[in-house]
Amino acid sequence: MFKDGVQLYYLTEADIAKWQAGGMRNLVLHAIYLEALFLTKQVPNPNEPKWRTTLNVSMPLNLSYIPIGLACGVLLHAAGFNTLLTGLVSIFIFSGGAQFMIASMLTINAPLVSIVLMLFFLELRYALLGSSLSRYLTKTSERFKLIFAVSMNDENYAVNYLKFATDKKWTPREALMVEHYSLLFWTVSNLVGSLIGSALKIDLTVVHFALTALFLYMIIMQVKNRLTILISVVAALLAVFFLVLTKSTLGLVIATLISSFIGFALEHYLKTKRPSSRLLYKIRSRSSKDEDEDVVEESGEN
Amino acid sequence: MAAVNNWNTSQHFLLIVLGFFVAFAPRYFPIKIFTQRKIPEWFNEWMKFVPVSLFTALVVKDIFVSSSYQVDIMGHIPEIIAAVIVGFVAYFTRSMALSVIVGLVSVFLLAVVL
Repeated sequence: MFKDGVQLYYLTEADIAKWQAGGMRNLVLHAIYLEALFLTKQVPNPNEPKWRTTLNVSMPLNLSYIPIGLACGVLLHAAGFNTLLTGLVSIFIFSGGAQFMIASMLTINAPLVSIVLMLFFLELRYALLGSSLSRYLTKTSERFKLIFAVSMNDENYAVNYLKFATDKKWTPREALMVEHYSLLFWTVSNLVGSLIGSALKIDLTVVHFALTALFLYMIIMQVKNRLTILISVVAALLAVFFLVLTKSTLGLVIATLISSFIGFALEHYLKTKRPSSRLLYKIRSRSSKDEDEDVVEESGEN
Repeated sequence: MAAVNNWNTSQHFLLIVLGFFVAFAPRYFPIKIFTQRKIPEWFNEWMKFVPVSLFTALVVKDIFVSSSYQVDIMGHIPEIIAAVIVGFVAYFTRSMALSVIVGLVSVFLLAVVL
């Protein structure tokens, strides 16, 4: 659909690759790419009202939210959420990954504590987004920071980060408008999805596998080097072990914590002590073999 | 495998309220704090591995563990095969929509055949 060269250029430039945590990587890339097109082609019209400019900036993102929001609404409905609650969850949690996870955990009848804990660990990555945007928000009021934080998520972060980095005139207030536009589109798509879900009779087992497939896709998209694969295997083994041991979904939380920590510790060890380790070999993705500047060419020395 | 969820509306509402706080805290406090200070590198490095671990754990639960928390491979053959197919589709196409659709179709067909 779009060329990899452009995506990767922006990826390295904005360091976004590091924080592609929510898994909605394609969405973000798409938004960034369209955004890049917009930046190069659009001549800013000084008379254009603010709400128009920010709407234009956020439009690629808004449009890509529609199908995913619809799917999320359908799944939440299948998991037992009514339409009003689906709207509330979209406004107050406003995170695709988290909402898909809620749907998934509800269908496996996970207890409240497990779901909230999993949400917490999943949402911890926002700390990275917030901290990288923080330098553009130093002059804003405490109240503004609070409001800004409530509706920040992976995708609008990507758009705003790029705008802040490339457009000197981009203000926190405009960034907040982008957040609110994306929030509006996301919530409406979720509501419509929920209504579609209540109109159709959907087989839960099949719906559930949609989530499994989605998570699998997210895993594949996160694989950057051999170490990631190893950590994924470790996480798999630990997950089985702790699920059977605890007889509850708390096992998922424990496995996640331990294996991500092993990943962190191992990477730290390898980078400082064994920089030529094969585990640090980058995995080339199929679709980016020529343009990926980030990939360090492997010399045949090992 | 997927039992129908029997939570009521107020339980869902409680989940949203708690979910809001756990989603809000990591969004807000770093912005508040790091408008003054720098981010510790180790935190970034650790968080990098959270999503891949989390999603792997979720997938493993879906395809290898039964609802009574026992390792169950024979009961999940269609899901396991479909998961392998999804893995290949995701790797070669890098398309989320295609991965999910192929996954759904293959789990449906395999469940009929096997």
